[in-house]
Amino acid sequence: MAGTDQLSAVFAALADPTRRTILAQLAEREATVTELTAPLPISMPAVSRHLKVLERAALISRTRSGKWRGSRLEGAPLREAADWIEHYRRFWDTSLTRLDAHLAALQAAEKEL
Amino acid sequence: MEEEAPQLSVTRVFDAPRDLVYRAFTDPDQLGSWWGPIGHSLPRDEIEFDVRPGGYQRWTEVYAGEPGGRVYGRIDLSDVVDGQLLAGVLSVTGRLPGGFEPFETRLRIEFHDEPGGRTRLEIRQWLPPGLAAPSDAGWSEAFSKLDRVLAAARAAATDHRPTKD
Repeated sequence: MAGTDQLSAVFAALADPTRRTILAQLAEREATVTELTAPLPISMPAVSRHLKVLERAALISRTRSGKWRGSRLEGAPLREAADWIEHYRRFWDTSLTRLDAHLAALQAAEKEL
Repeated sequence: MEEEAPQLSVTRVFDAPRDLVYRAFTDPDQLGSWWGPIGHSLPRDEIEFDVRPGGYQRWTEVYAGEPGGRVYGRIDLSDVVDGQLLAGVLSVTGRLPGGFEPFETRLRIEFHDEPGGRTRLEIRQWLPPGLAAPSDAGWSEAFSKLDRVLAAARAAATDHRPTKD
């Protein structure tokens, strides 16, 4: 069972745009650091540091076969994070849209007085 | 105080003065007009607010589509600054739609003036400590959700003004 610490690590990991790009690449397929670095404007050591953060969040695992060291996306923590984000983002989005209409109606009513 | 970054942040600007927006959150006669999805009602006699530091906001949500589906919401307020800030712990119990478990989540709502008599609302929410669920991952399900997570994260990034990031 994943605890709060792990889920916090997931959110922290997802907060960075470079790491989201890396995750999107890994959603396609497993990849090496070299492959992941190619489309990015940053160095291989920088990509390695991002991979460490993703690994700590258990969003990826590292694989090894011979000299080839790959990274692959792990689904479970991502799914918990996704469920939570989706649920609350939707709740606030709906509520605040209704609130906007409510405030507009209030102000329109005040003007008529 | 060291503060863990919120896992969810929502920013929205309303074309209404700050006090009006604040009252929509703190006036028990108004919450039911906009809180939660449509098709969902808040019985007025089950809304009880005591808005002050150490106070609370309490309400019941009734889901039209689910007879007997009642959700009890409560915010225990730790920090309140009139017209500017509501912060505390939101707990939700009862029969939650979507199969969600009852939970507690730290919540902070800030009301800021914007030019032109408008108001910027900033909502921050932290992860419920008891959220974690066992999951032996369907990969394909995780993948189908990845796009949505990335979209949500991108939306969150564009929500933020450049000075904040």
